[in-house]
Amino acid sequence: MATKRKATKKATQTRKRGGSPRTASHRAVAVATSPRRSVKERTAAAAQSPLAVCESEKDFQAMLKVLCDTTEPVKVRLAALQSLQAASFSVLSFEGCRGDYIATLRQVAEDHDPELRQRALGMLMREKDGFAQKKLLEGLRDPDKALLPPEKALQLLSYDVHADAYEAARAIVRKPPNETARREALRLLAADATAAPLFERLLLDKNELREIRQIAASALYALRPERMQKHARDILMDRSDYDDIKATSLTALTQLGDETLPQDAALMKSVGRFSTGKTPPKYKQTARRFLSKYGQ
Amino acid sequence: MLRDVSSTMAEPKFAALVDSIVADAGRRDELLTLLREDHALYRGRSAATIVRMRGWVLLALERAGVSDAALAFLLEELDTGVDPYLVAAAARALRSYRRPNAALAPFVMGALANIRYRDEPVSFDAYGVYAVSATGSSAVRELLATLAWLGPHAASAVPELEALRAPGGLPAKLRGDVERALQSVLGAPDPHDVAGTVSCCGPQVPMAAGGHRSEDIDSVLLEDHAGDRISFNAFFRGQPSIVVFFYTRCDNPLKCSLSVAKLAQAQQLLDAQGVADRIRTAAVTYDPAYDLPARLRVYGLDRGVRMDAGNRLFRAVTGNQAVQDHFGLGVNYVGSLVNRHRIELHILDAQTRIAASFERLRWDEREVVARAVEVLKATNSIPRLPIRRGRS
Repeated sequence: MATKRKATKKATQTRKRGGSPRTASHRAVAVATSPRRSVKERTAAAAQSPLAVCESEKDFQAMLKVLCDTTEPVKVRLAALQSLQAASFSVLSFEGCRGDYIATLRQVAEDHDPELRQRALGMLMREKDGFAQKKLLEGLRDPDKALLPPEKALQLLSYDVHADAYEAARAIVRKPPNETARREALRLLAADATAAPLFERLLLDKNELREIRQIAASALYALRPERMQKHARDILMDRSDYDDIKATSLTALTQLGDETLPQDAALMKSVGRFSTGKTPPKYKQTARRFLSKYGQ
Repeated sequence: MLRDVSSTMAEPKFAALVDSIVADAGRRDELLTLLREDHALYRGRSAATIVRMRGWVLLALERAGVSDAALAFLLEELDTGVDPYLVAAAARALRSYRRPNAALAPFVMGALANIRYRDEPVSFDAYGVYAVSATGSSAVRELLATLAWLGPHAASAVPELEALRAPGGLPAKLRGDVERALQSVLGAPDPHDVAGTVSCCGPQVPMAAGGHRSEDIDSVLLEDHAGDRISFNAFFRGQPSIVVFFYTRCDNPLKCSLSVAKLAQAQQLLDAQGVADRIRTAAVTYDPAYDLPARLRVYGLDRGVRMDAGNRLFRAVTGNQAVQDHFGLGVNYVGSLVNRHRIELHILDAQTRIAASFERLRWDEREVVARAVEVLKATNSIPRLPIRRGRS
């Protein structure tokens, strides 16, 4: 009896507050899609709406309409996009919506607003969408057709290793429009085993930016771990090389090394030196992990 | 002519080539040549480009009429395809097959299950066009239309169709398509419709023995999941073997991942029959530059593959082209990456000749093991060579 009274009281309070989560979500869609509400109200409401978007064709279509409407404020459209993306994670409930969702993303991929374009293309590339790939590659080959800056296009294309962006990435490495694009091109090339010699060269070039050398180390570790192991040793022995590069090399050796490493007295001495003195604490920790693994 | 085409052919030109082949009744067999994964046209293309190209060829089959030989390519797409455009094109083309057949129904229903949560709108208006509206067709719509075409031949699918029609089944906007399919399937059979047989649609039929034994294969150097190296001959000669091909970066869960997991099942069946020490198993990667030993080992472990002297995951350290030639592999590349491949499993005899192949469709491990045991029984008395571990 007491339990029943408690449940009734709770239900009443819920109704007074505004209903179940489902009801609240439907209400949120109404606010998010209402042009009479402020941008702030609408974007906040959109964040509460994915449940309704999943379950109600009417609410889903209303949210799509906001997204497609170029007269709507961009922030509201972005919030609608976010809500739709969240709803799409409920794969079973979203089944009936997926066709319209993908079709709309393809439209928004060519929107006048760059942030909307980028978000839509990012969502499509996560689906490995051929339309998005084609547009991004076209933009890399012909800047007049570019929907995104090259560094962003490369970043999105890297979501699918089967996208043929390798040639475009190599061209950008050779002649980068900017340093960020070069960096993203190298990240993309880390999936291509034939790029290993390039990464080897970059790693060993002390005139290179350190971030680039880090990318190269990471790529070489994935593609040719035995080459990374060899160079890691040389880098650690080189007193003139940078601490962060040495730390990356140490990590590689910790993963790749074998039981013969402790017999390499010169190497162990270098690592011992690295673990003390003026080395920054975070890199000392890397050194200590190595020494701990190899019994020092 | 097809011999003049190359990997640099622009896509619009490719589409025009396909259209010209369809228009010429004497050339329509060339469409099947264009569906070979290892065709030079596909070299250096992205996976998405190959989807557009293959989809256009499948649609051309719809116009040209689907022969028995072409059927295998359509069924492959229905069996393991995860791209909506290709599945839609295959479903559409199937309706141009000479006669509906009950053996086709499981493929259509299987494709529905595979694709329904990854479906998207598709356009067949012109080559390379992507749908930007959901009012047209989709893979699921085409599959339901194909079920309607099958009519009473799809009677086995009635329970599943009824479930799809019920609340909680397919989305409401597809109920009309489901209803049409169901009504057609429940309709009275055509008394003039003689049930045909479709030889390729039932259990996987191992392809004929033979294959091309390349001399270069003897010198191929393999490296296994433990980093041990061995020549092709040293591992495969002397006993029959079951060989599957895969690569760790395959993003189709119905192909490589499933094939290797099924190889593990086949290993257990061999064990149960007491022949595990007389028939070797191997999984060879299409991507030897990337699939280094550590990756091979983790991939095999994750799928329950037994790995020991007689059961290994391999990459070709040298002679990858010889491996491709020896097995006639259906694979192509963009750079070093695989851009398209088919399912393939080969059974080698003790002389490393290909005794049987299971291609394109998902194979049944019991049938594979049965076939391998037949090869074992037919093996000449070549002394079994022990496999030596260690680097060479």
